[in-house]
Amino acid sequence: MHNFEFVKPGTVADAVAALKGDEAQALGGGQTLLPTMKQRLAAPETLVALSGVDEMKGICKDDEGRLCIGGGTTHAAVAADGSYPALSAMASHIGDPAVRNRGTIGGSLANNDPAACYPSAVLASGATVTTNTREIAADDYFQGMFSTALEEGEIITEVKFPIPEKANYQKFVQPASRFALVGVFVAKFADGVRVAITGASEEGVFRWTEAEEALSANFSPAALDSLSVSGEGMISDLHGTGAYRAHLIKVMTGRAVSAAA
Amino acid sequence: MELSDSRTIDAPREMVWQALLDKDVLKNAVPGCQEMSGSPEEGFEAVVVQKVGPVKATFKGAVTLEDMNEPESLTISGSGKGGAAGFAKGGAKVRLEDDNGQTVLHYDVEAKVGGKLAQLGSRIIDGFAKKMADQFFTNFQEALEGPAEQEPDAEVADGAETGEKKKGWFRRMVSS
Repeated sequence: MHNFEFVKPGTVADAVAALKGDEAQALGGGQTLLPTMKQRLAAPETLVALSGVDEMKGICKDDEGRLCIGGGTTHAAVAADGSYPALSAMASHIGDPAVRNRGTIGGSLANNDPAACYPSAVLASGATVTTNTREIAADDYFQGMFSTALEEGEIITEVKFPIPEKANYQKFVQPASRFALVGVFVAKFADGVRVAITGASEEGVFRWTEAEEALSANFSPAALDSLSVSGEGMISDLHGTGAYRAHLIKVMTGRAVSAAA
Repeated sequence: MELSDSRTIDAPREMVWQALLDKDVLKNAVPGCQEMSGSPEEGFEAVVVQKVGPVKATFKGAVTLEDMNEPESLTISGSGKGGAAGFAKGGAKVRLEDDNGQTVLHYDVEAKVGGKLAQLGSRIIDGFAKKMADQFFTNFQEALEGPAEQEPDAEVADGAETGEKKKGWFRRMVSS
């Protein structure tokens, strides 16, 4: 690891100011950034730890009944909360205990790894990502693998989840990392169903709109029978080909619908 | 990683060929390129900064143009070392086809990475290489045609001023 400066501001405003420095990098739980720095694949000059910002931690409900999770809240805290059961269940299976007790929802979303779990929950729930400057709808937030709508130095302060009538997340794990080889989050709202897929596409998390239409008409695994997903544009690696991942999307979506219904 | 694609560029084949040999066009087209020096005959030296998720690497390397068959085909190849990150190399076989004053640009791209990049990033390399190739040819096309999307207002104002379609910067330069 290369040398770096370390600062730990206590407020969002101070963190934003610290991130204006040259080659400054925000540090959430460090579960991706620190291993990357150890491998010398990243060498920021200043790390701005967000773990000291108390206003970014915690879980509450707003007047519209949305579950509001501070950007610095750990996966373990979300797992323990339980007021959005499918989301808590998803958070309880991210990585291992070390990852869950250090890693944060804001860090996961800012990184937008194409196989991370959280992006699928945020997209399927139609959540709103709140930053120090604005609110971003989930549909506008994710812009391809490792790409988001965030500007340089922008911090995710909170994520607001509308709570669906029914929801479930099914993950086919990559056994070594516990990342999703394919992960499917299905959320059924009064006005329709949203299905978000992670781990599969080279473009990162995406909505499977054909399945959403079929499931909005008939919320049962049988509604998926006539659908299929092409392996085109899906990730291929030693753990599975694109066609295999495409096949898993349908299987895991069916399981998620069964489990949610 | 290999991929093949083609795109139609609204410019004569001769002009597309000239653009392919132009240092500034290449510099603007290579995603993340900070510096580009040299000549088509002797090859170019390039510095490219790339950021993928948490990884940020600076590649220093060479870009060469080979198998030149004016104005039909050539091979662009580049290789660079990214320090601790490893190395990357890639090439594109480009073929230009005349189509009634427009040019169809066919390309076959091959990309390889090694070192820690390959070790840690196998699941994302194909997707990333595709994105880079796509960006390269999109930037290249825009140098000749002008940006694909324009503010409607700006277009109207431009049209009133010049009375013609907004041109790409390379086209403006060579036709002025």
